[in-house]
Amino acid sequence: MDIRRLEPRDIPLIQHANLENLPENYFMKYYLYHALSWPQLSYVAVDVSRPKKTPYDYPKIVGYVLAKMEEEPTDGVQHGHITSLSVMRTHRRLGIAEKLMRQSQLAMVETFGAQYVSLHVRVSNKAAIHLYTKTLGFDQDKTESSYYADGEDAYSMRLDLSTIREQIRDAADAEGVDEGEPVGEAGSKTLPVREKDLKKVKVGRGLGVQALVEKDESKHS
Amino acid sequence: MPQPLSSKENSLFRQVIRNYEEKQYKRGLKAAEQILKKNPKHGDTLAMKALIINSLGKTDEAFALAKEALTADMKSHICWHVYGLLYRHQKNFEEAIKAYKFALKLEPGSPQIQRDLAYLQAQMRDFQGYIQSRTAMLQSKSQLRQNWTALAVAHHLAGDLVQAEKVLTTYEESLKSPPSHTDYENSEALIALEHLESIAKHNLDRLAVLELRAEYLAKLGKKDAAVKAYRALLDRNSEHPEYYNGLTEAMGLDGGDTSARKAVYDEYAKSNPRCDAAKRLPLDFLTGNDFRDAAKLYLTLMLDKGVPSTFANLKHLYTDPFKKETLESLAHEYVKAKESQSGDESPAEGELKGIPAGLYYLAQHYNYHLSRDLAKALEFVDRGLGLVPGTVEFHMTKARIWKHYGNTRKAAEIMDQARNLDLKDRYINTKAAKYQLRNNETAKALKTMSLFTRNDSPGGPLHDLIDMQSIWYLTEDGEASVRNGLIGLALKRFHAVYNIFDVWQEDQFDFHSFSLRKGQIRAYVDMVRWEDKLREHPFYTRAALGAIAAYLGIHDSKLVVNGVNGSTNGAADDEAEKKKVLKKAKKEAQKAEREAAEQAAKQDPNKAKAATSENVKKDDDPLGLKLASNDQPLVEATKFLLPILQFSPKNIDGQVAGFEVYIRREKYLLALHCLNAALAIDPANPVVHEQTVRFRQEINLKLASLPAKVAEVIKTEFTAIDASTDLKKYNADFLKKHKESAAHVVSAVKIRKLLGEDQKACEKALFDVLSLKTEDWEPAAEAHGLLLQWRSGEAEAFRKAAGETWPEVTAFNPPPAPPASS
Ligand SMILES: CC(C)(COP(=O)(O)OP(=O)(O)OC[C@H]1O[C@@H](n2cnc3c(N)ncnc32)[C@H](O)[C@@H]1OP(=O)(O)O)[C@@H](O)C(=O)NCCC(=O)NCCS
Repeated sequence: MDIRRLEPRDIPLIQHANLENLPENYFMKYYLYHALSWPQLSYVAVDVSRPKKTPYDYPKIVGYVLAKMEEEPTDGVQHGHITSLSVMRTHRRLGIAEKLMRQSQLAMVETFGAQYVSLHVRVSNKAAIHLYTKTLGFDQDKTESSYYADGEDAYSMRLDLSTIREQIRDAADAEGVDEGEPVGEAGSKTLPVREKDLKKVKVGRGLGVQALVEKDESKHS
Repeated sequence: MPQPLSSKENSLFRQVIRNYEEKQYKRGLKAAEQILKKNPKHGDTLAMKALIINSLGKTDEAFALAKEALTADMKSHICWHVYGLLYRHQKNFEEAIKAYKFALKLEPGSPQIQRDLAYLQAQMRDFQGYIQSRTAMLQSKSQLRQNWTALAVAHHLAGDLVQAEKVLTTYEESLKSPPSHTDYENSEALIALEHLESIAKHNLDRLAVLELRAEYLAKLGKKDAAVKAYRALLDRNSEHPEYYNGLTEAMGLDGGDTSARKAVYDEYAKSNPRCDAAKRLPLDFLTGNDFRDAAKLYLTLMLDKGVPSTFANLKHLYTDPFKKETLESLAHEYVKAKESQSGDESPAEGELKGIPAGLYYLAQHYNYHLSRDLAKALEFVDRGLGLVPGTVEFHMTKARIWKHYGNTRKAAEIMDQARNLDLKDRYINTKAAKYQLRNNETAKALKTMSLFTRNDSPGGPLHDLIDMQSIWYLTEDGEASVRNGLIGLALKRFHAVYNIFDVWQEDQFDFHSFSLRKGQIRAYVDMVRWEDKLREHPFYTRAALGAIAAYLGIHDSKLVVNGVNGSTNGAADDEAEKKKVLKKAKKEAQKAEREAAEQAAKQDPNKAKAATSENVKKDDDPLGLKLASNDQPLVEATKFLLPILQFSPKNIDGQVAGFEVYIRREKYLLALHCLNAALAIDPANPVVHEQTVRFRQEINLKLASLPAKVAEVIKTEFTAIDASTDLKKYNADFLKKHKESAAHVVSAVKIRKLLGEDQKACEKALFDVLSLKTEDWEPAAEAHGLLLQWRSGEAEAFRKAAGETWPEVTAFNPPPAPPASS
């Protein structure tokens, strides 16, 4: 197993893993939108030991986390969001999901100055709920009724990222780097102006990248 | 020349533009009409009207109108711009670029036209053109940082890193103050261009900086610093094998001293108990007793914990026979030891800890192709099911074992049992559907799939699967349809995959501008490079090969009907008979397709509802009958073929398919090119042998009639068999050399028949395949297919005999046909 950052060429097999594992699916462009907006936040687990069948085999993705920053946080606080997480059944219980999540959380703080990370999970999803609450320490925020297309409720969860923030600061101090601030600290507690401007730019064709955001959200509600 | 309008109409015209931009098409149209009433030949208005009409879906009308606009006002940049936009909409990018360029010539300063042109150039990989456009855009607005980045990116994409760097340096020098730390766009661009040391402090992509720094330090031979750098990376992520390699290399441990190397891993395993890689990776390089000890520890740990994926994590070691045997015996020892310890404590249901975990490991071990003994695998599965009867994993593996036996029917049944044990897990649902498809139960599979798809659109579950780009399903369903003889339906699915790749290519368009604004340049460049060879993906190749085979079949069956293939016995009533058979087959296929569609429709609970979404275009060929009746099947096949030859030239199946397409099209040079490529990949491949002989035979017949130049090239480049070779003898030698391989035997028999040998003798020779006693039953299935194709009286006898040789193979032992009435 190899846990590393997502690369664009991984996307077809990430989409494949998502279709195998979860009923919430997305078209390729939505993955691209993540990969090209927040390339630091999404990670994959690759089965590096598979023998190649052709010279053109792509790395076999057995798990992934697809994550983003909330573009217009209603609470005004920079935070990350887990769009999708899954691991192939043949590779579950190896700790893959936990490790994917931790990598993503670290990058959320480092690169985007995230204060917390949020996600939704089906109320019946015991494995995932264990992972989020027991292993990673998420708090159950509230229940959103009929959040999923099939009518199931979701727990909305969040994890405060200040521990990671402190760890980064300590590490920087230990290194004696003259940065003073941890990298990413400066990375905008408030959104840089340019990001906001972005929202207004139309993307020019039927399904612009921004429209994807709406498409995804409408999928749940 | 812009045609003058009165001031009232001028403001009306501005309104048309506004209306168009705000998508108020009706209003815009009305205002345009108003202008045209007085100025029927006003080019710009005609053009804007065309644009609006196009947005309303009337493309043809829009084009006609745009042309009219151009005739009225050849010198208007608006008319040309609109013309380009219409082409752009049609995805005819080349024409669009031409039109934009015309427009730009008429209105050199227009930022809009310049931008539209630039992004199309990026999409079309016209990087020189893109550089020109970006240079112009920079010149007109040099205060915008984005324009500098964009020009640098354009140079970068064109492969000119030096120029790219120069652009950025120029920009920085032109600034009075250094870029601020939070400035994402700037830091990304810099790292893309490897300005690492100078920018490390400002870059927010900490991981990228750390990785590059470690790599550079190692390359520069600064060992201590490199060690430190790799340790920092491992502290972040101890599951990335590259970091361990980097570390041990920097420590000078990559030589023979495995114990020192192992110590490094142990250190991480100790400090990070949840880390898997540190415990597992040493198994890759340890040997002998060291391996045995480490493997024992690892296996015990994993099985005690009950990690069902233990085997998946170790199977790569099986290429080493010693490691394979060691793991096998360790797993046996583990089970024995547990059995002797444990009293009466029975394992918890659904948990795979201890003994069940050991049994599960062994079941997978004996099911794996490098250590296969299917009977033993079944034995361990059954022992496991005796202990924990309700486990998905044991059922799943049992299904897989039956699949390996060739018993698709049992495999599908048992995978469905597995599914029923965990109805909430889509993974197992997916597997159940896949196994149903492998067993050719397409309707059942769709029903299984529908348990997790969104079924509220008019197209039902299938629509959702297409919409969500579920390539695996479309491909498997297509392949199953081929086996069911429903070629139209199969083509439908393969075309759906083809279209998805078109969409994926088109998807990058928006990011040419989006990424510049977001400033994530490195990710963008990665995307462009990946999209450049998008159709290299095995997803494409597999579906395309399916489509090509189907089109070749269509072409060949037409030849049979038309008797073009120089029927050997030539009797007219034989031809008529063939025609009749084909017609009947076609009818039956159509009926089956109709029924399948009706059945699918019944399963859709929403079908009764009126279609709610007006946007969903009705599919006027849901069964693919039109596709299957295409009268130029070889042209279609070529369309699927070209990307394979371009992007996956080392894929032998692609070259083999290429030969088949080109020889039928009598494109002998191209066919030869594929043949030579295939020979270079695998000279012993049986199908390539067939093709070599076929090519020699056909060329000997045709050479004289080919243009002299072509004949000359073929003579010099086709060296695999000499023109004067006795092909029969050549084939006999081949057979002698490969008589132990069923696939080669089948190929040799095919060639004997081609070279005019008596059919009876060939039929008899095919039976030899059955006496080879191999596990691999597929060549026998091919032999059976040949007998059917020859309409041999021996086909049924062959099937029965094969059924005895491979009693579990569904293909030779089909379930009794259901009663004929429905
Ligand atoms: C949820 C899921 C991602 C977990 O992946 P994983 O790689 O197996 O999880 P990990 O191995 O990292 O396990 C993390 C923790 O969860 C626990 N866990 C995992 N699967 C569990 C299960 N089925 N039941 C109970 N606990 C479980 C592990 O024991 C571990 O706990 P610990 O920290 O107390 O030791 C995986 O089961 C999955 O892909 N499910 C289908 C898709 C899905 O539901 N995604 C989540 C959508 S919100």
